[in-house]
Amino acid sequence: MPTIHTDPPTLYAERSDWADVTPQAQYENVNPLAPIFYTEEYKDATDYFRAIVKSGEMSERVLELTENIIRQNPAHYTAWQYRYKTLLTIKAPLDVELRLMDELAVKHLKTYQVWHHRRLLLTETRKPVPELAFIARSLKADEKNYHTWSYRQWLLAYFNDDELWDGELEFVERMLKGDIRNNSAWHHRFFIVFQSGTRKGDEDRDEVVRRELAYVKQSISQAPNNASAWNYLRGVLDHSHTPYSTLQLFVQLYTVPHSPGETAVEVIDLENPPPSKDSQLPCPAAIEFLADIYELEGGNGIPKATELWKSLANEHDTIRKKYWEYRIREALQSTGP
Amino acid sequence: MSDEATLQLPLLARVGHAQHCKICLQGLPSSQVDVDSARLALAFYCLGSLDLLNSLESRTNDFERQDWREWIWEQHTQGRYGTGFKPSSYMTPSHNLDNYTEFDAPHMITTYTALLSLSILKDDFSRLDRPGLLKFLRACQKDDGSFYTEPGQGGDSDIRTTYCAFAISSMLDDWSGIDVDRAIPYITACRTYEGGYGQSPFCEAQGGTTYCALASLYLAPSSSPIRGEPLTAQQRRQTIRWLVHNQGQSGGFHGRTEKEADACYCFWCGASLELLGAKDLVTTSALASFLARCQFKFGGIAKSPGEHPDPYHTYLSLAAISIHPPGPDTTTSTSWNIKPLDALINTTKETAEWARSHIPGQKIKS
Repeated sequence: MPTIHTDPPTLYAERSDWADVTPQAQYENVNPLAPIFYTEEYKDATDYFRAIVKSGEMSERVLELTENIIRQNPAHYTAWQYRYKTLLTIKAPLDVELRLMDELAVKHLKTYQVWHHRRLLLTETRKPVPELAFIARSLKADEKNYHTWSYRQWLLAYFNDDELWDGELEFVERMLKGDIRNNSAWHHRFFIVFQSGTRKGDEDRDEVVRRELAYVKQSISQAPNNASAWNYLRGVLDHSHTPYSTLQLFVQLYTVPHSPGETAVEVIDLENPPPSKDSQLPCPAAIEFLADIYELEGGNGIPKATELWKSLANEHDTIRKKYWEYRIREALQSTGP
Repeated sequence: MSDEATLQLPLLARVGHAQHCKICLQGLPSSQVDVDSARLALAFYCLGSLDLLNSLESRTNDFERQDWREWIWEQHTQGRYGTGFKPSSYMTPSHNLDNYTEFDAPHMITTYTALLSLSILKDDFSRLDRPGLLKFLRACQKDDGSFYTEPGQGGDSDIRTTYCAFAISSMLDDWSGIDVDRAIPYITACRTYEGGYGQSPFCEAQGGTTYCALASLYLAPSSSPIRGEPLTAQQRRQTIRWLVHNQGQSGGFHGRTEKEADACYCFWCGASLELLGAKDLVTTSALASFLARCQFKFGGIAKSPGEHPDPYHTYLSLAAISIHPPGPDTTTSTSWNIKPLDALINTTKETAEWARSHIPGQKIKS
């Protein structure tokens, strides 16, 4: 069993159970680039690790040694590799290893190796279902962690098992409810709805597109200035080859300021949910979208699009002034003589 | 940006940034132990910063540069999977350049940074085992077209490794080490609905991996069918749109939609726009203002204002300034003059030229 804590912290050089190993110091040239002034503990552990790798020993104590090194330096990918090989060779219980990884993953969320090791373990244990709950817990520590989301996408795609996919839409809705601007969750939604085959109940693809459009429009109405939602909207339209112009009525509601004395709308048009009362309008993303509709229309649409781009360049989105001016040039060029 | 903000653009603290990198080259505190297995990459960011600042000759001496070249060549290692550079001697118990063990093997990302670092140090590459390097590239390519970071043990694989394999092949001027036709579909599979590219297929679009994807596509050899314009007009428009929208109100770029700005994405997104022929779309005054605020008072550049600096963010910030320098309406200070950058292989043009003229070696036949 791998020990969780090496207690008391003795150096390997002082331990009788390691006396049979001759430590191997790191070879270093006279004037190395960017040498690290190692702590005594790290130098000691890696001296023994180099010796172990040289002798090829794979044993229980190697698990303890590699865990020690990983805790000091989680990016030490060789310690991870050697540990993985040792686990397989001595047939160590991999569920125990996974529990240890539950702790290390949250501690070192941003370390690539933690996640890579976990993937390797899963390809052996082939028990992906409990991982979903683990990932959901890890995301609580960092909701946009790239490695954590990638791991979830990999898990779903690699095992591609109905049981895994079943609760996925619900999961992503929970994540979006927690943070409507979590682009990782929006991306995940696109992945599970459009990029990973058709789930049971989703065979009617037109209906799926309608459902997603309704969902994203509702989300935009709650928080119009959310680039993630607008990108998702564009993604759904592009993917389903739905013309942007079908959204004209909806986006127009967001391109103008709130009118003074505006009261709650009595009859809610479900197709075109209006912006929430406290939202900041006009919304630059809506103006951009409307300009795209006009541009695609061509002809008389071009001057209308140009006006909108000018308003973005000079008033509503000045950080991208050069971009909006470029859009004007491009549009005029493609319609020019 | 308002005129007030731009007129107050501080100086770029060149001496402080050079000093930060020089100190890191001389030694790192134990708290930096996580770069133990990536020291050559860190060295590249330090040397690259000095190169961009045009300070290599003034801040380092011949003996140091000679020693560093020697040290990098010590990481050049040969064995059953071919030849490449390992990240450092962190797994090396004794002086032994030949027949590495499987746990002290060369690494793809390190090999890319080693070739650039040696070029910065004006090495003649007479010691480079070119056939071995091609063998190494071959050993790293997977069936799905992507590349392992290391052969044998596998290691991880994603689009960053693909980029390194492409950049190495380009510098070697020899594409026989990789199967480009197999590599391209992997890259295109990383594209997402937002118009950027993720780290592997199905992953979220991100600035760094988008750079890796685009640079790989634009580096691809003339024999490959995508050479010339790898993106459709519609794709190119969409990617430009996504990249441009990553510039936030602070002037800095974020790497993913609705995230905070980070100095490194000023390069990854800014260089991507340059590759797409759209570098004029960046608001350079705001960009410089953001990076100026990322400067640490004792030298070095941090990922965002108020954070601690490191060579990675220092290098990428300087590289971003090189591509998108603040205009004369923003500052007249020469402190912001950075050497021109080759955005495809990510080093100064001067170093890229050195690399391309020395790394291929003598061609046997024309």
